[in-house]
Amino acid sequence: MNHKGVRKEKLAASDIAMLGKKEKLSTHIAKNWQLYAFLVIPIIYYIVLRYIPMAGNVIAFRRYRAGSSIFGDEWSGLKYFRQFWRDGSYWRAFRNTLTLNISYLAFRFPMTLIFALLLNEIKNVRWKKLVQTVSYLPHFISMVIIAGMVRELLSSNGPINHMLVALGMDKISFIALPEWFPTIFVGSGLWQGLGWGTILYLAAMANISPNLYEAAEVDGASHFQRVMHITIPSIMPTIATLLILDIGGLVGSGGSFEKVFLLYNPMTYETADIVSTYVFRMGLGSGNYSYATAVGLFEGIINLVLLTLANMISSRLTDNGLW
Amino acid sequence: MAQTVQTKPAHLGKPMHVRESTGYRIFTVFNTILMIIICAVTLYPFLYLVAQSFSSEQAIIQGKVSIIPVEFNITTYQSVLAKGDFQRYYLNTIIYTIIGTVLSLFTTALLAYPLSKKHLRLNKFFTPFIIFTMYFGGGLIPNYMLMVNLGVKNTAMGFILPGMIGTYYVLLMKSFFAGVSPELEEAGELDGLSKFGVFFRIVLPLSMPIVATMLLFYASGYWNNWFNAYLYLDDKENWPIAYYLKTIISGASTSADPGEVSAESMQVAANIKSCSMVLMSLPIICVYPFIQKYYVQGMMLGGVKE
Amino acid sequence: MKKILSLVLTLAMLLSMVSVIGASAEEAVGYTYGDTFYSEEPVTYSMYFSDASWYPMVETWETEGVFKKIEELTNVTIDVHSYDSGDYNSKTTLEINAGQSAYIIPKVYDESPFVDGGAVVAVSDYVQYMPNYTNFYERYDLKGDVDTIVRSNGSYYRLPGMHETPLQDYTLMIRDDIFQAAGYDVAALEKDWTWDDLCEILVGVKAYLVAEGKITEDTYIWSDLWCGSESGQGNGGNLLKLIAASYDVPSGWAVGNGMMFDAEKNEWYFASTTEDYKEFVTVANKFISNGILDPETFTQDDTTATNKFYNGETVIMSMNRGQYTTWMSGLETGLGEGNYSTYVTVYPKGSNNYVSENSRLECGVMISNNALKALGEDGFIKMMRFVDWLWYGEQAYDLTKWGVEGETYEVVTDEAGNAVKQLLPGFKCGGLGISGAEEDVDIRLQWGYAGGNFWYGHSLAQNSDNFIPVIRDYFNRMGEYRDIRPINPSVVTTEDENEQMNLWKTPLIDNVNAWTLQFVTGQKDITADWDAYVASCNGLNAESLAQMTNEAYARTQAE
Repeated sequence: MNHKGVRKEKLAASDIAMLGKKEKLSTHIAKNWQLYAFLVIPIIYYIVLRYIPMAGNVIAFRRYRAGSSIFGDEWSGLKYFRQFWRDGSYWRAFRNTLTLNISYLAFRFPMTLIFALLLNEIKNVRWKKLVQTVSYLPHFISMVIIAGMVRELLSSNGPINHMLVALGMDKISFIALPEWFPTIFVGSGLWQGLGWGTILYLAAMANISPNLYEAAEVDGASHFQRVMHITIPSIMPTIATLLILDIGGLVGSGGSFEKVFLLYNPMTYETADIVSTYVFRMGLGSGNYSYATAVGLFEGIINLVLLTLANMISSRLTDNGLW
Repeated sequence: MAQTVQTKPAHLGKPMHVRESTGYRIFTVFNTILMIIICAVTLYPFLYLVAQSFSSEQAIIQGKVSIIPVEFNITTYQSVLAKGDFQRYYLNTIIYTIIGTVLSLFTTALLAYPLSKKHLRLNKFFTPFIIFTMYFGGGLIPNYMLMVNLGVKNTAMGFILPGMIGTYYVLLMKSFFAGVSPELEEAGELDGLSKFGVFFRIVLPLSMPIVATMLLFYASGYWNNWFNAYLYLDDKENWPIAYYLKTIISGASTSADPGEVSAESMQVAANIKSCSMVLMSLPIICVYPFIQKYYVQGMMLGGVKE
Repeated sequence: MKKILSLVLTLAMLLSMVSVIGASAEEAVGYTYGDTFYSEEPVTYSMYFSDASWYPMVETWETEGVFKKIEELTNVTIDVHSYDSGDYNSKTTLEINAGQSAYIIPKVYDESPFVDGGAVVAVSDYVQYMPNYTNFYERYDLKGDVDTIVRSNGSYYRLPGMHETPLQDYTLMIRDDIFQAAGYDVAALEKDWTWDDLCEILVGVKAYLVAEGKITEDTYIWSDLWCGSESGQGNGGNLLKLIAASYDVPSGWAVGNGMMFDAEKNEWYFASTTEDYKEFVTVANKFISNGILDPETFTQDDTTATNKFYNGETVIMSMNRGQYTTWMSGLETGLGEGNYSTYVTVYPKGSNNYVSENSRLECGVMISNNALKALGEDGFIKMMRFVDWLWYGEQAYDLTKWGVEGETYEVVTDEAGNAVKQLLPGFKCGGLGISGAEEDVDIRLQWGYAGGNFWYGHSLAQNSDNFIPVIRDYFNRMGEYRDIRPINPSVVTTEDENEQMNLWKTPLIDNVNAWTLQFVTGQKDITADWDAYVASCNGLNAESLAQMTNEAYARTQAE
């Protein structure tokens, strides 16, 4: 069955759908039962492990009491939503989520691209591979360890402060100062993710036909010109896709939870507390489960809407989407 | 990709002189230096950690250790490795990682393959069905209740099940499968293979890069996971090494206890911490470079659709 | 004849009644309780256990140690659900929420999240069956204390650990040799010294050390523990609690919801925005601004602080009685015997002469409703009597703290003629502050005696039966020099008030903690930024919280 065949069948199917969709669907399933059979175990997994617990979100609208029903005891309407809507700490967390995500993206995005372009210029295959290998390393290391390292490096007796002292400057209590948190967040993020982020770009670059470069060389284009006029335009769809998806994810805080959780403290809440850590403190920390669930639900909805939008735009513009 | 490029040949139009020799050489030197700096910056924290793990407790606290061990000793390693607990946690981690990775790979592939088939009409339902779960979860308590009711708490499955299928990985794998030549699959079917046969005999062998990629992602995921152990493994005998590390690197404390608890504490020495951190990271550091070829390819074909 | 017969009959009746009474409840119910507890049928009760990583539970605790001995004495097997102490609170919370709780839940500091859902039993309904508990409660008149944990339905849900008197366990230890050399005799000063005085003294000590060339101007001579990343409750932990209490405000571990009671006006107020609080942060900030206290105190791991103290880099640090021997042996390793001397101070006072501890209650035990469901009323009462024995009885107290007489400890007569307990040769116990030789067996590590799950509370005599002279001396001085603040009256809140106050509390107290640390470390200016701080608290419902507390208080008073 090749793609053309598929197309035809699809067309035919939609034509006939008007006549009798039901039968057509059952025939479709009967015809492809083997492929659908693959799905049985995974779909059961999704239903049981992902969808059944989702019913617990109902406590955003119900009064929950510890030890009583996990679905709450009585309806409370939008009470908990109204509460967080008026809660300054929630909005601070919301703002911090945006600020941290935007500043991280603002650095990561161009730097990853430049790093990928520079890597691509390395002619020595072994050297290139070595640089890649080294720069991928932090991606695989547990966040627990990374947070531990960050604390060590930035402590008053750590190497960074030693360097400052050697340069005749004062020591800085990095971990305690709110103004430093975004820098730590972005810096450690770049350290961990810069190399890994280049993979997709390098992959796209590897797909560029060498003929183009040869032709340009014959035409007398310099290296820089070749990069500007061949490499970048060629990977533009990848750049656009990744950028749009990143922008769509700017309000999400789930991915940063572990990192922020392991690095923040009350002194830095001002700039460090993000929605997911706030939800954690309100929930398991102090038992306001209904409230925490309402906040979590709200974030999930914004996220879903923004990412669906981003994905739609990406698919339209570049024919590239996440799904 | 190639298409996109060919539609914009205008960019290449202007003939230019090649001024490669000097300019490009300077650039190469600059580039090499920059790469060395990047490598050094990336590696420095690890080297620092390793140096600490071989240094004496005193030297660490006084901040004397930078990159070379001070008062070199291997007694920390000896004492950590000799501990029965440590060995058991390590063994647990290995077992969980192996079982978990196998199960994850299998189920992820089962899901990704049909989803990659555009002609399957129900995918219009199934794909959003799984993607939705990337944004909505059930919260701690419902999840916890579920695990209790499934009877997997305190078992290896309690550690594995919650993250067994990663939706993002399904999407990666799905994209990769979509790129596998349909002709080969058809040829397989003509040879009398069932869909399962085609999948296992033709598609999977052709998909080694993505399989290796998933292998690495899932394995490192299980290896580094402490949160599932925290939630679902009560007995110390079942702990993985990551959770043990979390309990001794206590800056990560989830404790809401008033101080009385921590106040009694005699904290774990800094060199033991760094030593345990090194021992935990070591297997990953040793393995990932050798699979690099595959995961680079896997990410390439899975992540960038044409 | 009839008379004789009736007499005989009466006698017989009386006798049978007496014999019934004599058998008391014991035979009828199949177990004894009170000073001892013994179940004729073997029973098993599940119990949570907070497992500390510095004396982790090992198999020998159950095969020959504390749990085995409990079983031998009572025929009760404890099904131990052990969690790492750092995660103990959240793990048990999760299980209670999920309805999966073990029967007995010890080491509970705050029961309020659980009282409304029916997950835990209103233990006040059962204390009548607990002779040791009621005995202690009445003998030391703990009604006022226990009333503070009573809920709006008149019940309470936690069996509190109870003390005869509050113990100011936390204080400061100094390097007496250095202080003396710098010209300060703390033993003579401590009776009336204030935090300001301490700051001046430390400035003097530092000047002395700099002049001697032992340290440089930018060295901090104080780096404290129990305030940083491991202290919980929003950092600041112990030290800020101590300083704040001297100025009539709650902070650090004691921050609670920031409310204080004004006895004169007979009302509650939000203390964290008062002038008292300003005075407190100003004083605390002096230690930082004078270059004495390392600001990393509030973010670092505890080991950093102890190591600096052991190395002689710092000259003052917090301690409690459980850690005294640890600090001493650390100093010995770090500096060598004879190169230092220490002094356990009565820590300074502030605008009042109170110590920070005023409650005679401790963390306590909750009982899961699962136990009532599974055991039935009679079986449940039996379990409560076991709990009574284990946490409030003397026999269990001695067992869980000291082990078995003749096996691990003996009772001897000291010079003063008092009977005192001491470990047998070959044993030591870091947890009791009793050191020993390297090869001696630590009864805590080996068998789980002297662990933190059982032996809190009790009378002063029992509490102090392991105090070494230095600690005894400290407690004597502390009792002599300082006063104990009267306890606050109880406020009984309704379920809705409870929920609302809890929702206000988390962001508000987060905010208070963050600003407090910033004021103390000098990141924010106390004069210039104070109004902004007060405004931020009011924006987070500080005033509403006070108002609701007062409403509930007025209602409580009326009842």
